[in-house]
Parts: sequence; C-alpha cells; structure tokens
Amino acid sequence: MPFEFPLMLRSVPILLEGLTITLTLSFLAILLSSFWGVLILLSLRTGKLFNAFARTYIEIMRNTPIIVIMFFIFFGSGVIGMPLSGFIAGLLSLVLQNGAYIAEIYRAGIQGVSNRQTEAGLALGFMPKRTFLLIILPQAIRKVIAPLGTQGVMIIKDTAVVATISVAEMTFQARLLADRTAAVFEIFTALAIIYIVLTTIFNLGIRFVEKKYGYKN
Amino acid sequence: MSIKSDLVPEIEINNVSKWFGDTQVLDNVSLTVTKGEALAVIGPSGSGKTTLLRCINFLEDFQEGTIKINGEYIGYQNTATEKDSRKRQHEREIALMRTKVGMVFQSFNLFPHMTVLKNITLGLTKILKQSVDEANETAHQLLNRVGLADKANVLPASLSGGQQQRVAVARALAMKPKAMLFDEVTSALDPELVAEVLDVVRELIAEGMTMIIVTHEMSFARAFSHRIAFMAEGKILELDVPEKFFETPQNPRLISFLERFRKGYQI
Amino acid sequence: MELIINSIPLLFKGLQNTLIMSFVATLLATVLGILFAFIQIFSHVFIKAVVEVFLYLVRGVPLLVLLFMMYYSLLYSGLQVNPLIGGSVVIGIYFAAFMSEVFRGGILSIAKGQWEAGYALGLRTHQVVGSILIYQALRIIGAPFINTVIMIIKGTSLVAIIGVTELTFVGRQIVERTLEPFLIFSVVALIYVVICYSLSLLAQHLERKIGYVN
Repeated sequence: MPFEFPLMLRSVPILLEGLTITLTLSFLAILLSSFWGVLILLSLRTGKLFNAFARTYIEIMRNTPIIVIMFFIFFGSGVIGMPLSGFIAGLLSLVLQNGAYIAEIYRAGIQGVSNRQTEAGLALGFMPKRTFLLIILPQAIRKVIAPLGTQGVMIIKDTAVVATISVAEMTFQARLLADRTAAVFEIFTALAIIYIVLTTIFNLGIRFVEKKYGYKN
Repeated sequence: MSIKSDLVPEIEINNVSKWFGDTQVLDNVSLTVTKGEALAVIGPSGSGKTTLLRCINFLEDFQEGTIKINGEYIGYQNTATEKDSRKRQHEREIALMRTKVGMVFQSFNLFPHMTVLKNITLGLTKILKQSVDEANETAHQLLNRVGLADKANVLPASLSGGQQQRVAVARALAMKPKAMLFDEVTSALDPELVAEVLDVVRELIAEGMTMIIVTHEMSFARAFSHRIAFMAEGKILELDVPEKFFETPQNPRLISFLERFRKGYQI
Repeated sequence: MELIINSIPLLFKGLQNTLIMSFVATLLATVLGILFAFIQIFSHVFIKAVVEVFLYLVRGVPLLVLLFMMYYSLLYSGLQVNPLIGGSVVIGIYFAAFMSEVFRGGILSIAKGQWEAGYALGLRTHQVVGSILIYQALRIIGAPFINTVIMIIKGTSLVAIIGVTELTFVGRQIVERTLEPFLIFSVVALIYVVICYSLSLLAQHLERKIGYVN
C-alpha cells in the first residue's frame, strides 16, 4: 500500500490538539524534577541515614519502568478513593522517576570537579561550604548542562506513556485517530515527525545554553 | 647568602607524626623556619615532603605534634599533644589560619571558570572583605609583579603552564600571607617554562618572604635558599646551609641520593 | 499475603515473556549496534550520513510511538505477526541506536596509538581490530552495554499496551481482577528492580575494573 502523503498531512492538526498537553506536561515534568533532584541530592549529602534513604529511592526509581510507576499511582489513587487525573498521575510519576536520574546527574557533575579545586579554595582560607558554593558549584553547573539536556529529551519522550492512562496528549490523539481510519502508518509517521521536531528544538536550545555557559575542558 | 638576623620563628613544626591508616608518613618531624628564611626541602618521592607541607596549612591532619604559624597553632587546640586528647579547631579558625600561609600547587589549581583577575581577587573580596576596586588594584599590582599585567581578563585555559603558575603565585600573595608554601611548583612544567616561575620565587626570597620550597630543582635550592632539608621515609635526615649540604653531606642516605642525582643527565 | 502468593505463577509467566523479549531485543540491538558503529567509523561519508540521520530520528521518537506504528500497521495490513515478536524487533531496532553509541564510543576511546602500533607492525584493519582492539573495547563497553540492556528490559514493559502478556500486562490483569494496585504493582516493580539493579551492580563492578586499568 503506497504511502499517502496527504493523509499524513491531514492527521497533523488532530495530533496537534494534543500538543498543548504534551508541552505542558513536558515543561512541568522537567521543571519539577530538576527541583526534586536537588532535594534528593541534598539528602544524599546529609549523613548516613538520609544518604541510605536517598540511595534506595534512586535505585527503585531508576530500575522501575515508567509505565509501572504510572499504573501504580493512577490505579492506586483510584482505589483509595482519591482518584488522580491521568495528567497529575503522569506528572507525579515523571517527576518521581526523573528526579532520581537528575540527582545522579548533579552528583556526578559535582564529583567531576577535581578535588584539587577544593584544595585550592581551602588553601586560600575559604571554609568548606563557601569553597563548594563559590568554586565547585559554578563548575559543576557547567558540566551538567549536556546530561541534563539528554534527560530532558527523555522526559519529553516519556510523556507519550501517559496516553496509556487516558491523557489526551499527542500519542493518545494518534491512537484515537488510528482506531477510526486505516491510514495508520501515515498517522504515526506524522506523530513521529512532530516528536522529532520537538526534541530537535529542545536539543538546539540546550546547545545554545551550552555555548553560552558551558566551558571547554 | 646571609640569613636575615631576625630570628623570629614563623613556622614551627614540633614532633609531628602522621599515619595514613597503618603506614607512617611523617615520623616525629621538627622544624623551625624563621622570618625571612627560604627553606628548601628535597628528597625522594614518598619521603613525606609534600605531606609535611600540606600539614602546615592543614590540608592534611596529623595525629601527633603541633604546628604554629606566626605564633599561633593551626589544626588543633593548643595544649593537647597526646594522640587522644587532641581537639580539632573549628573550621572557621582553620580557615583563618590558612589565610596566613599561601600555597602554590604543582598543578596550579587555578579556577577555570574565572578570569585571571577574578582568581586573584576572589579571596580578597570574599574573605578579606575588600571592596572590588581595592581588590582589583592589588591584583593588577601583583600581575605586574609576576610579569602578566596584560593577562588580567583572560581565562586560565589560554595561558601556558608557566603563566598559570605565576598567576597562582600572585593569587597566593594577594592574601598577604606571613609565609609561602611551594609544592614542587615547577615539576609539571615544560623545561623552558621553569625559569620564569623560579625567577618569581627568587624575587620573593630577595624581598624577604618566609617560605618552604619543596623542589627537585637542586641548583636553584643551592643558589637561593638559606637552608636545605633532606627528607626520606618521613624524617628530616639532614638540615644545613647549602654549601655544607652539598659539599659535605653527612647522612648516608643523602650522600647516595646526591650521587644518584649527579649521575643523572643534568645540563 | 496470599494474594501475592497466588499471583506468583501468573507473574512468573509474564516475567518469562519479559525475559524472552529482552533477550531477543538485546541480540538484535547488539548486532545492529555493532554494524551501525562500524559504518559510522569506517564508512564512506554518504552511507555514514544516512546511518547517522536514521539513528538521530530513531532517538527522537518515543518507543511507544514506534510500537504503535508497528502494531497498527500490522493490524491493518493483515499480516499475522505475533506482537511479542513484533515488539521485540521494534525494541531491538530502537535500542540499536543506543547500542551503536556504546560500541562507537568503546572503539574510539581506545588510544590512537594502539591502532598505529598495529598498523606499524603491518597488520590490516580487520587484524588490528580482531587481535588488539577487541579486548580493550570489551573492557570499556561492558558497563554502558549493561546499562542499555537495563533500558531494554524496562522498555519491554510498554508492550503491555499492545496486548503482549509480559510482566506489566499480567500485573494489570491481576489488578483489574483484585483491585489491589498498590500491592500488585509494588510486586511487579520489585521484580523489575531486582533484575535491573543486579545488572547495574554488575555494570558498576565493570566500571571499576576499567578505572583500575586506566
């Protein structure tokens, strides 16, 4: 069956009806998990007990598929009488999981700044905390821009999974459409292209930030 | 070279011993560096010379002994000398004491995300609470002094090793320390860049800066230091003025060390 | 609770399918990954560009979308393909894009000097690769390879949506019957965590080993 280009184009507007939710979900998930990641990182650095909790949390979140986390929260919330919407359940799942990934990214970034930088700061007479804030942190921030960018792309792609808990974002729209027409390959190709455009724009944004603030090693 | 007649102790190391786990790296080391004195420390790798230097500004702790800088203890509260009754100083006190000694590292350790100027003024503005203008003024003077006046606004990455090291010296000097600690500051440099750094050190010696120089540059140590110490296996085995040190060494370890050194390819 | 114990046989069946899919997908991803890596390193500019564009596109699309594409296309085209196989193939191709990075990075990170030493002796490319590089590359790629496998295993959970009775699908079935989502999905999550975490420990161990070599 030949590829019907016009059919692909005609599906685009319908798919784009879900764009707002895709974008909103992506934006909120990226924002909130960036902050949640900071909290997890702090927990990692505050003594043995908090470190143990944080490590356990991170390993659970990193090794569980996102769909399982979403089902857990979505269906679980329904059963206990506090049903969360698919959007909220999905957002919560994304933040809980990606906060863990992002905390690891932060941690690796900080660790990647050489110990010698700390020593140089201490030798001048800075206290450890100030050495961290003035010397280590600025360098770590520059190091993590790229990995955070990759994580952001993953978050944008993971928003597609909320289609399975009935959130009307783009993939959900595509499925609705696919159930009604036979031009399914064209529909999903269009969907794929839209995602590629989104992730490309995001990647370009990250590269721009990197050029401005990142530094060459 | 004549020693300054002012025999006021600037750095006093008394019976310092240090263990890394079960391995002893410093063995009852005692040393006094007087004001205006330039003391060189030489010795084989693993002799503890770098560790000793790092104990002086408490980048490393030590289990026994005391260290005083300009009459004040660093690291531990003054009276305790036995191993178990030591009380560590508060971070704030340690940080304050560190401003009194400047350290220059083998790997320069400049802050890569700051300009040369900012590297120098950071300590002035954030610790000594100087105004930005005051700090910049000091920094420019120091850059002049080390011969890098035109490099104030570049990032360290664009400088050669020798230039970076000179900035590191300026950064340490900016804090107006009582003494300077040089930790093999030319070991990581290409041979043709070594001279420009040693020139700076030599000027400091001429100006009367108290310092300890851990180095492999024998001819420099011989020509410009007031005394030289030989360390091996965590102990100071010989301590004397350069003429006696090189002409008539007493300690057998030192004799064989100098032998092996002379056998090496030296220009 | 007895509920968990009763569910175990079903979950086990689901786990079997998860593991089968993971295995097939990993195999496919590895073979394709090596192929793509070699093309990216050794090929003529044109083929290289085609492959690189393809890989970029694959990485920019959610796996779920590709799975739907496969599922619905097959549905409408009338071909009878078991979604388990179809899913494994799609997952394999998807992660081939990631695997090619793993292999490419591994091969490239071996110091140029090794290549040169090999060529200087008179060895030809395939000999240099086979006798010298392969051992070094294996040490370097061990950890990232395992990390990609972990991603594959987690990726298989998405085929629950297209009706394949793997672990997540079975979990959902049980929940629909028993209405104990917290309990059952915790068990499901636990199974994934045990498998994936163990693998990640292996990866960390391998990472430490190459650190030692360096």
